[in-house]
Amino acid sequence: MPRKIPWIIKYRPKKIADVINQDSAKKQFIQWLESWLKGKPLKKAALLYGPAGCGKTSLVEAAANEYKLEVVEMNASDFRRKQDIERIAKVAATMRSLFARGKITLLDEVDGISGTADRGAIDAILHLLEVTRYPIVMTANDPWNQKLKPLRDASLMIAFKRLSERDVILVLKRICQAERLECEDNALREIARRSEGDLRSAINDLQAIAEGYGKVTITLVRELSAYRYREYAPFEALQKLFNAKYIWQAKAAITQTNIDYETMMIWVNEHIPTYYDDPEELARAFDALSRADVYMGRIRKSGSWDLLSYVFDMMGPGVAFARRIYKYKWKIFRSPKRLQLLAQTKRSREVREGIARALAPRLLTSKATVKRDVIPFLKIIFTNNPKYAAKIALGYELTEEMIKWLAGPKASQVLAYYKKYKR
Amino acid sequence: MSSSREVLAELLWAEKYRPRTLDEIVNQEEIVSRLKKFVEEKNMPHLLFAGPPGTGKTTAAHCLAHDLYGENYRQYMLELNASDERGIDVIRSKVKEFARTRVAANIPFKIVLLDEADNMTADAQQALRRLMEMYTATTRFILIANYPSKIIEPIQSRCAVFRFTPLKKEDVVSRLKWIADQEKVEYDLEALEAIYELSEGDMRRAINILQAAAALGKITVESVYKVVGLAHPREIRQMIQLALAGNFNEARDKLRELMINYGLSGLDVIKQVHREIFSQDIKLPDEYKIIIADLAGEIQFRLVEGADDEIQLNAFLARLAFIGKKLKS
Repeated sequence: MPRKIPWIIKYRPKKIADVINQDSAKKQFIQWLESWLKGKPLKKAALLYGPAGCGKTSLVEAAANEYKLEVVEMNASDFRRKQDIERIAKVAATMRSLFARGKITLLDEVDGISGTADRGAIDAILHLLEVTRYPIVMTANDPWNQKLKPLRDASLMIAFKRLSERDVILVLKRICQAERLECEDNALREIARRSEGDLRSAINDLQAIAEGYGKVTITLVRELSAYRYREYAPFEALQKLFNAKYIWQAKAAITQTNIDYETMMIWVNEHIPTYYDDPEELARAFDALSRADVYMGRIRKSGSWDLLSYVFDMMGPGVAFARRIYKYKWKIFRSPKRLQLLAQTKRSREVREGIARALAPRLLTSKATVKRDVIPFLKIIFTNNPKYAAKIALGYELTEEMIKWLAGPKASQVLAYYKKYKR
Repeated sequence: MSSSREVLAELLWAEKYRPRTLDEIVNQEEIVSRLKKFVEEKNMPHLLFAGPPGTGKTTAAHCLAHDLYGENYRQYMLELNASDERGIDVIRSKVKEFARTRVAANIPFKIVLLDEADNMTADAQQALRRLMEMYTATTRFILIANYPSKIIEPIQSRCAVFRFTPLKKEDVVSRLKWIADQEKVEYDLEALEAIYELSEGDMRRAINILQAAAALGKITVESVYKVVGLAHPREIRQMIQLALAGNFNEARDKLRELMINYGLSGLDVIKQVHREIFSQDIKLPDEYKIIIADLAGEIQFRLVEGADDEIQLNAFLARLAFIGKKLKS
C-alpha cells in the first residue's frame, strides 16, 4: 500500500511569504521572534489565536524554517504530573538544542487544556515561561476562556483573521497546478465557500475528491458535501481520533461529531486495522473497543446512561492510545466493509431467513436453530442428492430461489426434478 | 393429483419421525408418566422443562398438548420462541390476543408454549411472570430452557420443574436404527454409534446427521464424518490459522464470510472456535491453548450478555494475532 502524504503536510508553507494573508500577524510575530534572537524578548511567549485552519501553526513552522530554528512540540497532557513539569522546565531552561540550533517550543491548542479543567497544567506552563531560555509559542482557537487569563497576561497576543474565500481559492489553485489536476473554477469556489475560511479542511476536501475521482468538478464537490454528514463525517472523526495527541482530543473526536456513537463504533471497528498494523497495537486497540462494547451492553441492560462516559473513554482514548509511538497518519476514505457486505449479501440473507421461517414451525424450533443446526445438513442433501432434495423441496414448498440458494452448483438438477414432480 | 404429490414429497426426518403422543416417547420415562397424570386429570400447573438441546423438551410439550386436546391441539396452543420474538412487548400482545380466543370444550385452559425462555433478560422475565399471573385463570405456560438457573426464581417457584437428562447411547442408537429401517437405508452399526458420539446426546442433531449421510448413500462411519465435516465450515479453522499467522485482515474476512454467508451468530463461531483450538490441526503449545480457551470463554460470556458479535470476535482475532507474533519471535 503506497503511503499517501496528506496535502496539508505536502503543501505546508516553507517560507513566511508562503503563508497566505495574515500580514499584520506575520509582522508582529517576526518582530517578537527577532526580539528573542537579539536576546531581549518583548515577552517570553506569543499566543497566536484565530479560527481553525487560518495559518497559526503554519506560520510558526515557516518562520522556524527561515530562521533555522527547531520546533519542539510539547504534549499538553505531559503537564499533568509534577515530575514531568519539572523535567520539561529543566530541558527548556538549560539544554541546548542537539545541533546547537535555537529552538521554538510549541504548545498547540492550549484552549483544550482549559476544557479539561486542569488547573495544574496552566501553572506548569506559567512556570515554564519563567525559566525558559527559548521562545514559546502557544496557539488557540478561542483564548478568551477565564482560565486562560494568566496565559494571556504573560503572552504577546497575536490575532489571526479568518481567511477569505479568495485566499482559500488561491491556495487550492496552486495545489491543483502542482498536482496537475483538472479543476473546475466553480468547484474550487464551492469548496472554499463551504470551508468557511478553514484552509486545512478545504485542502482535505480537495484531496479526498481528487484521490477518489482524479478530477475536481462542481458535481463531485456537491456530492461530497451531500454525504458529508452521513459518511464523510465519520471519516473525519476517525482522522481526528487516530491522530489525537491528547486524551481530550481523542475523546472529543468521538463526542463532538454529528454521528451517533453506535455508528461511530462500527467505523472504529472497521478502521482499527487501517491505522494499526502492528499486532500489539491492533490487539490493544480492539481490546479497548471491545471494552467499550461491553459497557454499551451494560447500559442497554441496566439503563445506566452514566456509563456512557466509559464507552467514550474506551472507544476514544483507549483506541487512540493503543499505539506505541505517535505518528501522523492520513488514510484514504473508505466506508465500512461490513456495511457494504451486508448490502451485497442482503438478498442471500433474506433467502436464508425465508427458509428458516418456513422450517422453524415444522421442526418446532427457533429460526436461529434452523439456521445453525438444520440448514448446513440441508445444504449437504441439496448439493449431493438432487432427486431427494427435490422431494424435500416439495415437502416444504420451497421457492425456486430457496432451492437455488441451497443447491448452489446443483441448482439446475434439483430444479429439473422439482418441476417434474410438481406436475 | 394431490395424492401423487404427497407420495413424492419428503420431509426432514426430525419432523417425520417426531413422536406425536406421549406414548410414542421412548425415553424420559419418569417425566412422561408425570405428564400423563396431567392428561388424566385434565389439569396442570405452569411447567418448566429444562435440559440440554435435543432431549425432547419441545416434543414432550407438543405431545402433552396433543393428548390433552386431540389432533387439532395447535389451535389451543400459542407457540412462541423467545429468541425469535422481538422483546417482551411482542410476547405480551400475542399472549393477550391469544387469551381472548375460546377454550376447548372439555379443557378449561389453553397453553402458551415459550421456547428458549432462558434467552430472555431478567427484566423481560419479570414482565413474563406478571403475564403468567394475569392470565392464570385461562392459560397455562410451558417454559422451555436449556439452563434452568437462567430462569428467575419467582418464575421457577410458580412452575412444576421437569429436568430432562441427556439421552443414553442405547436410546439414541436404537432410535436411529429404527428410522433407518423405516427408510430402508443401509447402514453400519458403528456408523450409528459414531453419530451418537458426534451429536453429544442431541437427538435432533443425530437425526439430521443420519439423514444427510443417507443422502450420500450407505451410512458408514466415513460418510458420517464426511457429513459432519461438511456441516462444520472449514473457514473456522482457516480463520484461526490465519490469525495465528499474523494475517489479521484475512482472518477478519473469513469471520465475515462465516457470519454473513453461513449465517452463523457470534456465539456459534466462538463455540466452534473453542472446539477447534484443542484439535490436532492447530499447532500451538498447550499453555497457549489454555490461554486462548480462557479468552474464548470471556468472549462467549460477553456475547451472551449481549455484546456486539463482530467487535468482540475482532478483539479475539487480534489477540490471536498478537499471540502468534509472540510465538514467532
